[in-house]
Amino acid sequence: MTLTQPAESAPSAEPPKATRRPGLPAALKLRAPRNPMAAYLLRRLRQSVITLFLVSVVVFAGIRALPGDPALALAGEERSPEALAAIRAEYGLDDNIVIQYGRFIAHALTGDLGTSSRTGLPVSDAIAEALPVTLELAALSLLFAVVLGIGAGVVAAVRRGRPEEWLANAVALLGLSVPSFWLGIVLVLAFAIAFPVFAASGYVPFGTDPLDNLRRMVLPAVVLGSGLAAVVMRQTRAAMLDSLSADYIRTARAKGLSRREVIGGHALRNSLVTVVTVLGLQLGHLISGAVVTEQIFVLPGFGKLTIDAVFTRDYATLQGVVLCTSAAYILINLLVDVAYSVIDPRIRLGGAAR
Amino acid sequence: MRRTAVALTAVVLVLSTTAGCGSLQSSATEVGGERMADDRPVRDGGTLTVALNADPDKLDPSLAQTLVGRTVFAGMCEKLYDVDQKGTVVPQLATALPKTSPDGRTVTFSVRKDARFSDGTKLDAAAVVTSLLRHRDLPGSARATELAPLDSAVATGPYEVKLTLKQPYVPLTAVLADRSGMVMSPKALKTYGKNFTNHPSCVGPFRFVERVGGDRIVLVKDPKYYDAGDVHLDKVVYRPIPDGNVRLANLRSGDIQIGDQMTPVDVRSALTEPELQLFNSPSLGYQGLGLNVGNVKGLGEKPGRIDTPLARDARVRAAFELAIDRRLINKVVFQGMYEPACGPISPESTIAPGVTASQCPERDVTEAKRLLKEAGVKTPVRLELKVSTTPEHSRLGQVVQAMTNEAGFDVSLRPTEYATLLEETDSGDYDAYLSGWSGRLDPDGNTASFLKTQGAMNTYGLSDPKIDDLIDRGRTEADPAERARIYGELTRRVNDQHALIYLYRQKNYVVARKDVAGLRVYGDGLVRVKNAGYAR
Repeated sequence: MTLTQPAESAPSAEPPKATRRPGLPAALKLRAPRNPMAAYLLRRLRQSVITLFLVSVVVFAGIRALPGDPALALAGEERSPEALAAIRAEYGLDDNIVIQYGRFIAHALTGDLGTSSRTGLPVSDAIAEALPVTLELAALSLLFAVVLGIGAGVVAAVRRGRPEEWLANAVALLGLSVPSFWLGIVLVLAFAIAFPVFAASGYVPFGTDPLDNLRRMVLPAVVLGSGLAAVVMRQTRAAMLDSLSADYIRTARAKGLSRREVIGGHALRNSLVTVVTVLGLQLGHLISGAVVTEQIFVLPGFGKLTIDAVFTRDYATLQGVVLCTSAAYILINLLVDVAYSVIDPRIRLGGAAR
Repeated sequence: MRRTAVALTAVVLVLSTTAGCGSLQSSATEVGGERMADDRPVRDGGTLTVALNADPDKLDPSLAQTLVGRTVFAGMCEKLYDVDQKGTVVPQLATALPKTSPDGRTVTFSVRKDARFSDGTKLDAAAVVTSLLRHRDLPGSARATELAPLDSAVATGPYEVKLTLKQPYVPLTAVLADRSGMVMSPKALKTYGKNFTNHPSCVGPFRFVERVGGDRIVLVKDPKYYDAGDVHLDKVVYRPIPDGNVRLANLRSGDIQIGDQMTPVDVRSALTEPELQLFNSPSLGYQGLGLNVGNVKGLGEKPGRIDTPLARDARVRAAFELAIDRRLINKVVFQGMYEPACGPISPESTIAPGVTASQCPERDVTEAKRLLKEAGVKTPVRLELKVSTTPEHSRLGQVVQAMTNEAGFDVSLRPTEYATLLEETDSGDYDAYLSGWSGRLDPDGNTASFLKTQGAMNTYGLSDPKIDDLIDRGRTEADPAERARIYGELTRRVNDQHALIYLYRQKNYVVARKDVAGLRVYGDGLVRVKNAGYAR
């Protein structure tokens, strides 16, 4: 699991601007619709298409730069020259790389991502089966991280210098430093073998059996969410400390608001902008695959799909998966930017903030 | 570098003494002898979940290439012939062993009259012919090489098949006891064509229901199966769980009932669990160390000259081999749970060439040093050893590094990811690498492709007319005693080249929960679930 820990230094009282990315040249902006929200979305959509195109090129070329090809990885120990040649011909691996790319894009635009060279299953099926697993795992671990992280962060900030803060800090440090592989195995030993409350592995769709689904998803969500909870806790704490010392908090207290209203309604709400930024970035990581967590709990999600595709040089699957995760990344970033304006009405979309 | 080697030797020595003590410990932690079957009575019903160490490839017997895939086929695709507990070929869909004409070029057999494919159609001679020709001719077929000697196949009656061979081909029966002998439903082949892999239909105790890539393959009992009375389970689920620790944890929690291909380390911990039982059978394969003696242009190309002491002079390679202690490797790296080996043909094979583990050369550093001196090479002789990224291979690499260092070799290890390793060794871009083979029933399947000049998997660039001749003779000799003599001679000849240094033979370890009975694990390493179920 790779959790990039954002810098903990609290931002200034002024919340970050929504439009952090450079816009397109002015000429393009002129033709944008008048509705600032629509114009903003349109501009972001254009950028997304370019990003997706670049990603597809990089992935396509990148996996082909690795030694070995699907034919070889597939043939494994039983390779014979005739079989290798036949497999290469079947997947068009002998063609010029530009032609191969053109074929891939032409098919991808019609929604056909090809078939896996290893299993012969359609890539879109593999993605459709892995996506619910990954989304649920991401959502549950996010929930775990938000509840634990924000709760502990607020407590740590409000009870600054007291034992509660030390405890919260200690837990956060533990969450960050314990390797997820170890944590996963220990949780399985404790809660699936010694006290069999949860299952050790596998995935059952929520629609099939909600209870069994949760029985299998709780432990992975805790493992995956623990690192994130720590990051969220530290971010919340820092932002809360900042907010609590701001003038408007003193004003709020002076006008006689209850402690709960001051902390919940004013301090926390202002702190959430930073936290949401962090969550958005981290959610991207969760979607692109919690490889280790999926490995321990044998969950057929995106992480496992990606890693297997790299090792078996399953070009079609890897390309499909990376395209999907890139699209998800872009979408999440967009949602995060929209979320800013909901949390903090001072942030205006489009040109207003500039 | 030197200090590392000394330290490693120390580690090896410490480990070996503790491993030595290990064998004196209580019997609860002992593996014991071979255990291939469990004959307790079984009740009907239930689902069995089998964890495999990788996701199988295509479920098409013509295209399939993985060992885990063969295990899944064992549940749903029967073959013309099968192997029994003793490693003997026995009829499965065929009614008797094949009859071969005196000139060895015509083979006839008949097939069962009561077998139906999972799609309900009947098995007959025409279906067998369709499958055999597809195995041989389908582009990309992994069976094409082993069925190349097959000239024609015809149905001479509703259930009688006649095969004509281009030349006598003794390994044929053993070949028909593997995927080449699997018969696919002609109707399913016609309906699905290349997409048969997603709708496989054969004769088998269980039939295919669904596959979710990377997650599971589900089979259910086939009521139309000719021996359905002996099948007890309702359902079998195969799940890929690559990590051994995770497989063991799932066995203990009861989420899976059978763990396939367990490593010695996992087996050691499984032995202490009262609710688990262990099956083990000797393997047909081998594991060794391949040296590049002439692979300059890649697989299938004419071997050339490589100007390194190791490739130039067999004495240097002999010294390398003499510096290695096979018994110690088995003790230290594999907890003493595999077998030392010094030949390509397992004692479990249909032909026993009589080169057993006890005849492996002992480690002799003095002699190794003398050979290096006689060859007049400058020591230390440097070489790079490519190993895969598994913990077992990296430990094995370290032990070989430490052992050969004492004789005057300077081995550097390079862990290499699997597909990259294949590419590099195929193209001849290596000095030495850990080279293994899962094994075939007939000795030909364990020798020809690897040792024959320009053989399909001769990554070593080995080329010796005497070896080529012995391989051809082994293939056509019908008399078992004479065949055993030929393969014995072949083994000695190959060992004299020191290009492929055979080190050890794995064992197939399968761990199951105690309440699972009726399981079979034979020398081919496949988990046979046909008669399995929950103990009564």
